[in-house]
Order: sequence, then C-alpha cells, then structure tokens
Amino acid sequence: MFLRLLFESFRRQKRRKGVALLAIALGMSIATAMIAVGTDIGDKISQELRSLGANLVITPIEDTLDVNIGGVNLKPATEGAFIPESDLAKIKGIFWRHNIKSYAPFLSSEETFTSKNGTFKADLIGTYFAQQLKYGKEEFTAGVRTVNPWWKVDGVWPQDYTDWPSSNPPEILVGSKLTQQNGLAIGDQIVIGGKALLVSGILNTGGAEDTAIVAPLHIVQSILGLPNAVRRVTVSALTKPEDAFARKDPNKMAPAVRDRWYCSPYANSIAFQIREVLPNVRVEQIRQVEQNQGKVLSRVSGLMLLLTLAALLAAALAVSAAMAATILERRQEVGLMKSLGASNVAVAALFLTEAGFLALTGALAGFVAGTFLAHRIGNSIFGSAIVVHPVVLAVVIFVAMLVTALGSAGAVRKAMQFDPAVVLRGDA
Amino acid sequence: MSRRQLLLRLLFKAAWVRKDRALTTLISVAVVATIATAALTIYSDLEGRLSREFRGFGANVIITKSSGALTNDELARINQTVGSRGEVLPVAYAIGTEREGGARVVIGGADLEKLRRLNPSWSFTDLNQGSALVGTRVAESLSHGGDWHIAFGSAVTSIAPRAVFRSGSDDDSRVYLPLADFEKLTNVQPHTALVRIEGRPQEIQTAVTSLSSSLPGVEVKPVRQITQAERAVVGKTRSIVFAASAVVVVLIMLCMVATFTSSVLERRRDFAVMKALGASNGAVNSLFAAEAALLALAGAAAGYILGSGIAFWIGKANFDAAIPPQPVLLLPVLLGSVFLALIASTVPLKLLQQIQPAAILRGE
Repeated sequence: MFLRLLFESFRRQKRRKGVALLAIALGMSIATAMIAVGTDIGDKISQELRSLGANLVITPIEDTLDVNIGGVNLKPATEGAFIPESDLAKIKGIFWRHNIKSYAPFLSSEETFTSKNGTFKADLIGTYFAQQLKYGKEEFTAGVRTVNPWWKVDGVWPQDYTDWPSSNPPEILVGSKLTQQNGLAIGDQIVIGGKALLVSGILNTGGAEDTAIVAPLHIVQSILGLPNAVRRVTVSALTKPEDAFARKDPNKMAPAVRDRWYCSPYANSIAFQIREVLPNVRVEQIRQVEQNQGKVLSRVSGLMLLLTLAALLAAALAVSAAMAATILERRQEVGLMKSLGASNVAVAALFLTEAGFLALTGALAGFVAGTFLAHRIGNSIFGSAIVVHPVVLAVVIFVAMLVTALGSAGAVRKAMQFDPAVVLRGDA
Repeated sequence: MSRRQLLLRLLFKAAWVRKDRALTTLISVAVVATIATAALTIYSDLEGRLSREFRGFGANVIITKSSGALTNDELARINQTVGSRGEVLPVAYAIGTEREGGARVVIGGADLEKLRRLNPSWSFTDLNQGSALVGTRVAESLSHGGDWHIAFGSAVTSIAPRAVFRSGSDDDSRVYLPLADFEKLTNVQPHTALVRIEGRPQEIQTAVTSLSSSLPGVEVKPVRQITQAERAVVGKTRSIVFAASAVVVVLIMLCMVATFTSSVLERRRDFAVMKALGASNGAVNSLFAAEAALLALAGAAAGYILGSGIAFWIGKANFDAAIPPQPVLLLPVLLGSVFLALIASTVPLKLLQQIQPAAILRGE
C-alpha cells in the first residue's frame, strides 16, 4: 500500500514532482560547483602567484657580502665561496621534493665584451634555462624559464650546453637595454676573452637583467674558469602560509612537535630540509614573495569560502522553500489520508520518503550539472579544469537529504495541524 | 464595494489567508535578491580590496636617474603623482669599506621609518643601539665584537644598529643609514626612488605612464614580477567571483521561477472561480501580476538589506574592512525581482487560460 501510494504520487503528479526535482537539482548544482571552485581556488591562485618567482634563495654560508648596486654586481667572480653545482639535484631528494617546482642557479660577474660596435662592460650571468636533470629515478627540468616566468625573450631561448660546443659559438641572451645601448641584434656575435658568443635572443625582464648578458651556466663557468661553481640558487617551492608554529625553532622542539613541523610544507621547514642535504649553505625566504604570497592566497581562498557558504545557504533556503511550496499545496491529500484513518506517522513517512527520493535524484543530477559548470569555469578562467572531488558527491547528497527533509517536515507538520474535514471542504 | 476595494481585498486576502504560500514565494524571491546583492556588492568592490593586499610586496615602481641625483623638483613631481596612494622613498647607495675587516659593504641612505613601512615583509630584530638598519648577512659577517666603522674615502662613521633585518634579497648585504648621516659620510644624494603605488592594475599603469612622460632623463620602471602577479591574481579572482556568482544567481533564479510558477498553477481553482464569476482575462491577469509584484517587491527589499549585510560581513571577516552597501544596486535588484516574478506568474496563467474554468473546477 505504502509503495503504491509512493509510486502513484510520482506517476500522477509529474508536474509537481518535476518542479521540486528541478529546484533540488538547481540548488545542488550550485552546491557542487561552488564547493569545487571554493576548494580548488587556492591551488589555482597559487599557480598564478608562481609568476612572482622564487620564494627561497640559497647562498654559501662562507660567502662574502654581495656588492650589488642597481643590479650591477661589483664583486669579483673569484671572491667568496661557491655552492657545487653537482650537489644541487639533491634538492629534489628532500622530504617535500614534490613541492619544489623548480630552481635556478646563478653565477655572475662583471666582464668586458667586444662586439662589432666596440667594447662594453656588462654583467655576465650564467644560469639554467630549461635544464633536464635527474635525481635518482626522477627526471625534472630546472631553470629560469619556470622560476622567473616574467622573463620574456624575443628570438630563441639558448640551449643549456653541457660543454663548450665544438662547432658553432654558444648561444646567449642579451638584455633589451644593453642591445639598445650597444646596437646589438639577434644573430650578432660578441667576443669575451677571445671566445665568441652568438646572440640568439633579446631578454626583457623589467629588472637588472635588462642590462646584462645571460648565458648558459656551463658556458659562464668555462669563461670564468670556475667549473662546477654556483653563487646563488633561487628555488620556487609550493609552501603553506607561515603561521606562529612555522616560525618556531625546530632545534628547541619536542620530537613529536618537530616531526609535525618537519612534515608541514612551510617555507622554513623546506629551507631546513635543503640545509640538511646541502652542507654549508644558508637558505633564506625571499620574504617579499613568501610572506605576501600566503596573505594574498588566504584572502582569495577566504573570500571564496565565504561566498561558497553564502551560496550554500541560499541554495538550501531555495530548495526548502520549493519543497515547502509543493507540499503545502497537498493538504487535501493529507486531509484525505487522515480521514481514511492514516496516522500522522504514516503520512509523514510517505511525504518524507518522497522527499528522500527527490533529494537523491536531484542531488545526482545537480552533481553532474555542477561538475560540468565547475569544469567550464576552470577552463575558461584558469585554462585548467577544476577537479571535483568524489567526496563532494557524498556531501551534496547529504545536504540535499537534509534540506529537503527540513523543508518538507515543516510543511507536513503544518498540513497535519488542520482538521481533515475543514481541509477537504476547502475552507482552510 | 467598489471595484478597487474588491481588487485590494482580493490582493491582500489572498496573501493573508494563505500566509504559508505567500511566505514560501516571498522567501524564494528574497533568497535570489540576497545572493544577487551580496555577489554584486562584493564584485564591485573586489578589485580595490584585493589590490590593497599587494601593498605588502613593497616598491612596485623603481625610479632611477642615470646621471646625477634626483632634484627636489623631480621628487616633488613624483610625490605629487603618487599622492596619498602610496609611498615614495628616495634612496642613495655607495660602497664603503668596513675598517676592521676590510670587506666592501653597500651602504644605503634613506628615511629608515619609510623603508620599514615600505617593506612590511622584512623581519626586524630590534637592538635599539643606534640608528642604522643592518642586513642580516652584514650583521653575521661583521660580528667581531666592538664597534663597526665604515669608511668611505677618507670619511669614517661608526655604525650602531637599531635593528637587524632579514629580507632574502640583496638588501641582506647592505647597511642603511639615515639619509642625513649618509650624506654627511659620502656626500652622495639620492639618485633612486623606490615607489609603491597603490591601486588597481590600470591605475598603477596610468601613474607609471604619467611619471615617465613628466620626468625626462629619468627611468621609471615597474617591477614587473609584482605588477604582473597583481594583474593576474586580481583579474582571475574577479573573473572567478563573477562566474561563480553568475552561476549561483542564474540557477537560484530558475529555482525561484519554478517555485513561483508552481504556486500560481496550484491556484487554478481561484483562477477558475474568478473566471466563472465573470472576471475578464485581463482582470485576472492583473490581479495575479499585482500580487506577484507585491510579493517580489517585499522579498527583494528584504533581500537587498540582507545581501548588503552579508557583503558587509564578508568584507569585515576576510579583508578586515567592511564592504559598504551599494545604493546603486537597489533599483536593479528590485526591478529585476519584480520582472522575474511577473514572468513567473503570467506565463502559467497563459496556460490556464487555454483550459475551460469548468474543467478546472470539476478537478480534471
């Protein structure tokens, strides 16, 4: 009997059920899309903030002070200490290796160059562009192209030579302002210490590199006679915004607390882990990037979280109102059932089961639609899909059940308060 | 009873007698108006709010003069362009020699209070001995005990640190002195100005353009990594808030229309009785429309207030500064809600008009 009532109610009241289903599905697609966007926004904005560049810098502890004014490095190339380049790949062996997005080594010195238009002095900077590297079994790419995404090149990025090439002169980049000052162009050759270099591209960074010559690290090492030497490494790592716990000194922590600190991807703990694998280096946060990145990130995620909450609340209210509206209209049915001897419990059970079915179907439909919407939003704004975690489905079904039950329960109670006779006469 | 009285009575009795029905439709309109108001209020204020978060990145424009110092006239022009929306810090640099160890140190001269304000991300360890700000690498490499003396040419000054700072940049290898002390030591005047311009990405761009055109012989360079990140983050966040709000508002609107339509359809008996008593289609239509419009108006007004409150609170909770209500939005929200309600109530009536009143009353 119960099943029949249930079934017939769906079969005969297609329009009413359709409206309720539509409302639930719409509400739940809002929930799905907003939860997906709200939980994924942190990652997405964090990717955008990569364009700020590296957030950690590694320098040798024994190094003398940098003598750097207006982007010109005035420290002699041979002075001070170096980091062995061959050790750098160990950075990819630390606990949080997957959070190390990339790194770029630097070696620089002010040198004198000769071009067809005469001689000039400029900073010679050696670095990786997109060097293929291997640590253990893992292969990865390191270099300025990923660490400093704001570097723009007209022409071609040079390759990362392993050795001085035997046939053609090695390719290099020349800063945009330097090319203007010295009348250089792509394809020109410049000479340093009797060795020729070929300009393959013009570099525009908006920074000090605009007046420098940027060459592959191994070429610069060979020019300066400093094999395997690196002065500075910048590391781009995904980190968790710093909090009070992150700033604590790990050497003063109890072992369990220290483990927790060590296993959180704070900039400080990643720096600590880099110091463990690279002896005699100092690892500093590039505070301008690291400190602010977290703040911006938490603002954006916080905003989306609050918006998501507001949207969820609105969706819940809308669905409740729709459910209440459809049930309120059915007081005649309630009256009829009660006058035929149905108990309040039986009536409530029938209505709530109906609501449950609607909630389940609506949640499924809404989840599918919401996933689609989240995908579209992600693709059109960030160029990468927003992934909807399967757990969202469970959440959405639960929310749908709860909200429809709440919306129906109130209305059913209201409908049962009336005297069946009055309702059936149509006086209520 | 006059016709108008009858109309008014029908209008209010309908809502009064079936309070619950009126309430559910009211709520569904109010929800739409609330979420639309909140989303639009936040969206309209978002760019400015979020841009402010980029203050902490320090200078976003660097102004350098290639030969000679910046003149007072030029500094005044920079100050005038930046105005109150930022910070202008003239800096001078020179290379000194530490007398005891012989190491070369870059010394900078600047207004140190402003320098700290400009770089809120630096961490400072206050020592309160003197007046200089000392980079952490300088502090470490010169920690030989005793006073530090820095020589520039034949002039020598002793350095007493007021604070040691960590920045993670080249500044860690520098010592900053108050500008007056610096000028006394080196006789060098500022040739660089670190400038932070606050505002939306376009406003920064405009300021940079106007600075470079009004200052010949001076290079005005935006720090691209910061401006680019700001543009990307602000732009994408705006788009995502817009897209998400659009989705939410449209879907919830559909939801409201469905509820509204269905509640009108449920009243087909009212409709049939009126028709059977001789009301014209027009009269019935206007009655239903007036009722819908009234409900929508009330719901939208409540929604506007609630939505502004939500935006206010979100601003306070997330940006530490409330987002004020936007009176501009009131009219569009009210009109939009009424318009939607009218569509949602008149379309089902059109359907009902195709059915004979008698058929409805018989329950077919």
